Order: sequence, then structure tokens, then C-alpha cells
Amino acid sequence: MSHLLEVKNLDVKFDTDEGRIIAVENISLSLDQGKVLGIVGESGSGKSVTAKSIMQLNPGNTFYNNNAEIILDNENVLKFTSKEDLKKIRGGKVSMIFQEPMASFAPAIKIGAQMVEQLLIHKKNMNKKEAKSLSINMLNRVGIADAEKRFNQYAFELSGGMRQRAMIAMALSTMPKLLLADEPTTALDVTIQAQVINLIKDIIQEYQMGVIFITHDLGVIAQIADDVAVMYLGSVVEKGPVNKILKNPKHPYTKGLLEALPDVNNLDAPLSPIPGNIPSPLDRPTGCVFRTRCPHHNPEGKDGKIEMKLVEVEQGHWVDQCGIKCGQNE
Amino acid sequence: MINFIQFTLTRALLACLTLFLVSLIVFSLMEFVPSNCAERYLAFKNTQGSNITVEDIAAEEKKLGLDRPFAVRFSSWISNIVLKGEFGQSCILRMDINELLSGRFMLSLLICITALLFSYAIAIPVGIISATTKYKSLDNALKFISYLGIALPNFLVALCIMLFMTIYYGDTMTGLFSEEFENVPWSSDRVKDFLSRAWLPIFVLGWNATAFALQTVRALMLDESDKLYVMAARARGISGMSLLLRYPAKHSLGPVINSLGFDLNRIFSALPIVALILILTESGALLIEALARSNDQQLAGAIIFLLTATIVFVNFVTDIILAIIDPRIRKGVMGGG
Repeated sequence: MSHLLEVKNLDVKFDTDEGRIIAVENISLSLDQGKVLGIVGESGSGKSVTAKSIMQLNPGNTFYNNNAEIILDNENVLKFTSKEDLKKIRGGKVSMIFQEPMASFAPAIKIGAQMVEQLLIHKKNMNKKEAKSLSINMLNRVGIADAEKRFNQYAFELSGGMRQRAMIAMALSTMPKLLLADEPTTALDVTIQAQVINLIKDIIQEYQMGVIFITHDLGVIAQIADDVAVMYLGSVVEKGPVNKILKNPKHPYTKGLLEALPDVNNLDAPLSPIPGNIPSPLDRPTGCVFRTRCPHHNPEGKDGKIEMKLVEVEQGHWVDQCGIKCGQNE
Repeated sequence: MINFIQFTLTRALLACLTLFLVSLIVFSLMEFVPSNCAERYLAFKNTQGSNITVEDIAAEEKKLGLDRPFAVRFSSWISNIVLKGEFGQSCILRMDINELLSGRFMLSLLICITALLFSYAIAIPVGIISATTKYKSLDNALKFISYLGIALPNFLVALCIMLFMTIYYGDTMTGLFSEEFENVPWSSDRVKDFLSRAWLPIFVLGWNATAFALQTVRALMLDESDKLYVMAARARGISGMSLLLRYPAKHSLGPVINSLGFDLNRIFSALPIVALILILTESGALLIEALARSNDQQLAGAIIFLLTATIVFVNFVTDIILAIIDPRIRKGVMGGG
């Protein structure tokens, strides 16, 4: 069976005044219907850029490599240029929810009007009245009480959690096959966060869509994802089923992320942060990207003698070979 | 709705309060100028050859009611304006100010408002295009033109155009009417004549305002276009003009409308100088005359009062428009209300 989404050899580069920045390099990912792929990494690691590439939402100075492919439903969406095609990946087959629900609603347009507008764009044979009742149903579905009233309100009149629910309702109303969730819970407080995660889980069950869930929070990943890809400076350094990666991390970066979390059973134990800082994207290391932060010296990576390449260490669990070396060499 | 009425009433009350304070300031300024109206008038008569005595001055003061205390004179001045719409007599010309200003003030207002509308009618579409254009050279050209507009003073532009007109057409294009229409009642020919000449002050006043408004619109558009809600709208499949107009443009509109009163103020301020150069006969020219030449404080006060009243009124109207288009203001979340 073919995958719902397959990203193959994707590079994303930005032309800026300071030069060409590599935002994403040689990424390959796949996602099946009804599954959640978590993408984890620090800010600037290329998680959002990867997701936005699927909808061609990156800014005008973005360049993709020619052999890159993003196959969604057997179509290479990276080659889409016509308005009709773009509509398919923007709100049609793919919907996106963002980190800041307040900022992602237009402040001076009613929530309902924004929902109806989207439905009328994507559902050719739907009239305004049907779009309205569907929108209210969706608001109800995501657990917003008094949906009819909320439909006529503005984003600033809703609470943070309610706004994110409304955002989810809007994203789902066109019945997309793929939902891109870009840190949807980061801006929410913990109790609301748990509610929103449960809501997304329910929705995946109900609609059987694929979800890419972007976060820097491994705790959230453990709750929601089936597979996980760990990104560092634009490259995937480790990917595989979530339980394998969390229980048996192979890459020093993944290990570092896990060790940086407090241990509930031993709160006095010192946290061990990953040494060093993320290099500037303008100053991206050649060869192995992680080598500047390798806890043990990794002479082989220095001059690109060893290339970054994902190798399968156990069934479905892939690790960048630089990372394995990095952990071994003393 | 109740919110809205409350908002409107509050704003109206504030506008009245502003107007009251402004009139107090205007009246006090008239007061602070050395010598009063009676002395100035008689001094003026003196230059015409009459002999003036101290008794004459006292009699004139009594006649004009200048011997009454400040508060009484202020309240009678302001109540005459508010209740009867009368500004009293000009100090030097001894003419009814209402009569003196009738038509002229409207003419000034017409010129300024047309200049304002003209500048926004250009600045809004061009500013939007300038902010969204992919063609860097067009954007740069527009930027250059608008910097030129900001940098060049109005009177210099007026002088340049006059020079150009004189050389190529043999007519300086000054004044608001040709000679034969100067002092006749309004007719369709007079309107035509007016239009054929009024474009020059309108252009000169509007040119500068356009440049400012263009920069405002462009900066607001760029600012709004970078916001997340615009990307979120694109992610929902909204594109082209409907994206541009409904999202960044709609949300830039508030501050643009907000700047209307400010711009009208600037145009009003520029008007007297332009009027002087272009030899206009509307109230801007009269203001310069009253302030700088004849020291006619009564007349100057009336004109300044009318100008500020207009600006206060425009600000009140823009506040209401803002509240109508922006729910955040209407519902009193972000300031106001």
C-alpha cells in the first residue's frame, strides 16, 4: 500500500541578504493514513519549514532541489503551480494549525465568517447556509459550548484553549486527509494542552487522517505520535517508531533531548543539557551537522570523511551514521 | 449595539470638551496679544489721519464691551458662536466676520478636503501595490517619488509649477478665479473657471500629503502581510485579490483612517503659505492677513476656531468609522471605548 504522504530527498534553501541558508537538507519521511508522525527539534531545526513545504507556504525566496518530491495521494505537490492545484494542498487535502491561535485568526473578521469563507472555496456545491451549519457543527464537535454564539464572535473574545479548538474545527471542516499541527499546544497551559491533545487523538480516530505533529516537547510526542523524526539543523538525525526511539535512542542529540527532561523519580538529579549551542544556519557545519556538539570528539566527521546517512539499527529505527560514530569515538 | 451608542456618546462628549478647551486657548491667545481691539482699531484710524484721545479709546472699549471681565467676554464670545453661529465683528475691517468668511471658509475646506481625498485615493491603491509588488524596480520608483514628496516643501512645488506655467502658457495660474469671475455670483461658468484653477492648490497641497499617506499605507501593508493570520488564510486556500483585500488591506485600514484627521491638520497648516504664493482669496490667505499684517485677532480667532472645529469633527467621525470597521475598538478591548 502506498503511503498517504512521502517526502523524498527534500532540500529547502532560502536566499537572504547574508547568503543562501540551508533550512532543510535531504529529508525523507513517510506517513500513513490514520497515523501521527511527530517531528521534534529545537527552534530553527527546520520542522516548520518542512511542514510548510507540503503546502508551498514558504516565502518567495525559497528554493527546492529538483529531485525533491513530496508525494501526497500519488501527486507530487511540490510541482503544483496552478491556483486549482494549490487549493488542493491549501485547505483542501491538507490543513494546518499553528502555534498561536490568537494570531492565526484574522483579528477583525468573525470566526464564523473565516470558516464559511474557507468552506465556500473548497466545497463547490455548498451554499452559505450549509457552510454555516457545518461550521457550527464542527465547533460543537471540538467541544465548544454555545457554538452558535461563538460563530459570530471574534478571536479576541475567546479564551486561548477555545481559540485553538476553533482553529482545529476550521482546519477539519474541509475534511483534509492530512493535518499539519505546528506546535499547536505550545502556547497553551498544561491542562488545556492535555485537552487539546486528547481532542486531536479523538479526531484522528474519527476521521482517519494523517497528522504531522511538530513540537519540541518529547512528553507531548510520547502521548500522541506513532512515529517520530528528530531534526537537528535541517536534517533528520533519527527516526522510527516512537516507543523504540524514546526507549532506545541511538543518536547523541536524541539522548541529549531525553536527558534534558527532569526525571520524576529523582528530581534532585542534575539535568544534563546538550553541550554547546546550535550553530547559526549561516554557519552550518559541513559533513555531519551535529559534530560541533558531539560530546566525544568525532574526527571523522570533520572534513566530511563520513557522510550523513540514515542506517537502520533495528526494524524501522533509523539513525544517522555520524551520530553512531559520535557516540563511539572517545 | 449599546456598546456602540455608548462609545459614540463618549467620543462626542470628548470632542465637545476638546472644542471647548481649544476655544479657550484661542480666546486667551487673542487676549495675550498686547493692546486690545479698541486700541488697535483706533491706532489704525490714527494712521488714516484721525486724532485719537484716551477718552476715545475708553469710549470704544465700552462700545465693544471690552471693559467687562475676561470670563464674561469669553462666555459671550463662545455662546454667540455655539448658539447663534456668530463670530462678531472684525477688529480692523469693522465688518461682520460671518459675512467676511461666508464662502471663503467653505472654499478653503473644499480645497483641503479635495486635496485630502485626492491624496488617499492615490495613496491607498498605490501603497497596496507598492507593498505587494514583486517588481522591485516599480517599488523603488514609487519610494523615490514619495520621498521626493516628503522632502520638497509645498511652496517650492507651487513656485516651480508657477514658473513652468508662466514660461509655457503665459499664465501664472494663480488665484482661484480668472479676473472676470472674481466677484460674480456662482454660475456654471464660474464653477468651470474655479475648477480650471483650483487643481493647482489642490495638487500642491495633496502632493505632500500623498507622499506621507503612501508611506503610511505601504508600511502598514508590509507589517500586516507578515502576520501569521495572513499565512493562515493562505493555508486555507484564500489567494489573490480576495486574500489581499480581506486580510492585510482590511486590517491596515484602521490606522490609515486614523491618520486622516492628522493629515487634514497638516494640509490646513500648509494652506496659508500656499495661499500666499498662489494668491488665493480663501480663508487661508485671510488668516495670514489677519495674523501677520493687520493683527486682527477677532478675525484670526474665528478662522482658527473654525479650522480646529473641523479637525475635531473629522477626528470624531474617523473614530466612529474605526469603531465600525474594527471590533476590537468597538468592544473596547484595545483602548478607547
